[in-house]
Amino acid sequence: MLRLLTLIFLGWMPLQLLAQDGTAQLQQLMAKWNLVKDYTVQVNIRSEIPLIKSFPVKATLYFKQKDQFRMVSKGIAILPKQNFNELPKFLQQKDRYTALITGSELIQNQKTTIITVLPSDDSGDLVLLKVWIDSKTDLLLKSQTTTRSNGTISALYEYGSQRAVGLPDKMIFTVEVKKFKIPKGLATDINRSSSPDAAKPTPKNGKITISFADYQINKGIKDEIFRK
Amino acid sequence: MLWNSVYNEFIKITAKPRSYLGLLAITVLVGVILFALKVDGKSMISFVTSSFEQTLSFEGELLNGNLVAFIVLQMLIIHIPLLVALVTGDLVSGEAASGTIRMLLTKPISRTQVLLSKFIAGAVYTLCLIIWLGIMAVIIGKLLFGNGDLMVLNSDGLVILQEQDVNWRYLGGFAVAFLALLTVSTLSICLSCFSSNSIGPIVLTMAIIILFTIIGTLDVQLFDSIRPYLFTTHMASWRSFFEEPLPTADIIKSVIILLAHQVLLIGLALYQFNKKDITS
Amino acid sequence: MPEKIIEVQQLAKRFGTFQAVKEVNLTVYKGDVYGFLGPNGAGKSTTIRCLLSLIRPDQGQIRLFGQSLAAHRNAILSKTGSIIEKPDFYKYLSAYQNLAIFSRISGANVSRKEIEAMLDFVGLAGREQDKVAGFSHGMKQRLGIAQTLLHQPELIILDEPTTGLDPQGIIDIRNLILRLRDEQGKTVLLSSHLLAEMELIANRMVIINKGKTVVEGEVSNLLNAEELVVQLEIDHVPAAKQWIESHMPKVEIISTTANHLELAIPKSRLPELNKSLVEQGFQIYAIESKRKLEDYFIKMLQADVVE
Repeated sequence: MLRLLTLIFLGWMPLQLLAQDGTAQLQQLMAKWNLVKDYTVQVNIRSEIPLIKSFPVKATLYFKQKDQFRMVSKGIAILPKQNFNELPKFLQQKDRYTALITGSELIQNQKTTIITVLPSDDSGDLVLLKVWIDSKTDLLLKSQTTTRSNGTISALYEYGSQRAVGLPDKMIFTVEVKKFKIPKGLATDINRSSSPDAAKPTPKNGKITISFADYQINKGIKDEIFRK
Repeated sequence: MLWNSVYNEFIKITAKPRSYLGLLAITVLVGVILFALKVDGKSMISFVTSSFEQTLSFEGELLNGNLVAFIVLQMLIIHIPLLVALVTGDLVSGEAASGTIRMLLTKPISRTQVLLSKFIAGAVYTLCLIIWLGIMAVIIGKLLFGNGDLMVLNSDGLVILQEQDVNWRYLGGFAVAFLALLTVSTLSICLSCFSSNSIGPIVLTMAIIILFTIIGTLDVQLFDSIRPYLFTTHMASWRSFFEEPLPTADIIKSVIILLAHQVLLIGLALYQFNKKDITS
Repeated sequence: MPEKIIEVQQLAKRFGTFQAVKEVNLTVYKGDVYGFLGPNGAGKSTTIRCLLSLIRPDQGQIRLFGQSLAAHRNAILSKTGSIIEKPDFYKYLSAYQNLAIFSRISGANVSRKEIEAMLDFVGLAGREQDKVAGFSHGMKQRLGIAQTLLHQPELIILDEPTTGLDPQGIIDIRNLILRLRDEQGKTVLLSSHLLAEMELIANRMVIINKGKTVVEGEVSNLLNAEELVVQLEIDHVPAAKQWIESHMPKVEIISTTANHLELAIPKSRLPELNKSLVEQGFQIYAIESKRKLEDYFIKMLQADVVE
């Protein structure tokens, strides 16, 4: 009998753990974010994407509550499709998802709680969202977004001077590239005497590193800036 | 005496209405392309980036003067040879057809100097065409579309070149494009030495370019050994300046092959022109 | 001995299977107006083009101004002016521009004023800026002469210069050639089909046929200036003919028509013939001197054929 009860308890606990609501942790995360009404930051974007050769690009990022966002870059910057504004924007809409704590993991030597966010709308583009939140500091250390149209994009977050308000110093995105194809005929060199190295396999993932510096927080930003 | 003859050739070229056809054609063609890009350039870019845009987004001004100039060059560089040959193909055979070759070759100037002066004048005309193309494509393009990074689609992927890194590439690209067109000019003048009618060398020059281009694109093993030495294979070498890293060895190879063609063609033309009996 | 300006020896040129020139020999001295005669296809144009380095001969030697053409082409051509058949110009350029273009490569420093003066000389004053496309044939011929003389050449080679000209134009060319020789001491080599003109101006000549020299020499020696060919317009031609044959055997009857009698007669006996015929009651309406060169030319060609 005791064995049976032990077995039931041991089986029930994980289930309870799995079923635990992660909304509270998300709220704590968003409470940090909500301290920021607006900010301006200088960013440096470095892309390492297969089939794309580019140089680091400097840009200025503007953000204003609740979802005004604009990047101004002199050059051409490559960003992940689901970029850093989409995640907070989605998480603000509490009625659109269910958040469940589904585990824990060590990231950057910090213990994190894994929260799986399931969208309420099955037909939407977003299929699954997972966030890794530092248990002690309530900072977002990793996210993983899976959409029907864009596949899975992962992001790692590093913090520095603005950890108190949850603004990272660095974000490292990993994107899937297996669907990339070169459209023939438009810009290909028809007289190319050597063909690309077909034997070399194309990596399946690419990396985009965004570094943030010189945050100007809650200094006020005019709405005109967000109009192109 | 050579430079007197070169000056004469300039006068003749600038006096012929046909010489301005090339410049007018470039103006109109580039104008049409610029207009089309201004109206609907963004959808053209979408076609190029569509495969990448499933996972990525491109921020910044993609459609800018640098890209527009690249597109113009890409579209027109295969047509410019005709505009070159239209004038240079007539330099010798046109004089034979009109009879002025008789007057010219009874003067105390060697046939070699007469022909070299035509090559030089042809080269200057070709340079004028390419400079005009550059002005229309790059300068007018930047005036209309502004400056910015250049996004280029090569056969091995997308390359994004920084704005400050583009101008010298255009200079180099235009220089190599000039060399390629100079080869066309040299070819047409050489053919002109074998003909006594105006149209023949022009048509034959274009026929050779088309034939060599087809040989260059056919994926047939038989042509593999000759393809690297056809001048048409290297007519698109200007694009190499928009690759990263810069394929210096390939560019040098193209320059050498194009120069070798010119030396060969000039040699052949001099031989034919010097031994030719003027009976017309 | 006058200076030899042109010396051609054993000249030969073949085009494919056609032997255009077999064996042409000629010599032109300084100050000559040298007639270059021959039927169509005789090789005149080919020879002239060889002299001007337009055609490279297969064999033979060409020396101008005492120098080999092959070795001193530019120096020779700087002293030579020429018109080959019809002068061709750049139609899209003006008369002035055309002359400027050719003068620039003629080896002489020709100024704007000199070009304008030359245009005036040939009767094209006021037409400097007109495009050659609008010029008549006669105007182009004048421009051709201007182009030939602009750099003050010592030797002038004219290949059929009177082709297409009206009678006044022909006279103008004749007078010009004589002026060039008499006033400027220039040497002229002239080929033409107008034998009458040639007879009037040439002092030396060569006749070629089928690529070979037939005869060359002083015109006066070749044509025997003491003998005339005259045409009488006379009544009773048969009777007149009979009387001449019986009373003046040295007079050669060449031909007769209903009203005309053509005969060859020593110059000194013409007055006697005229007087005698009148005394015999014949009515002479006209005495016209016919061209001897024409006859000579035809005789030479026929002799060459026979040979």
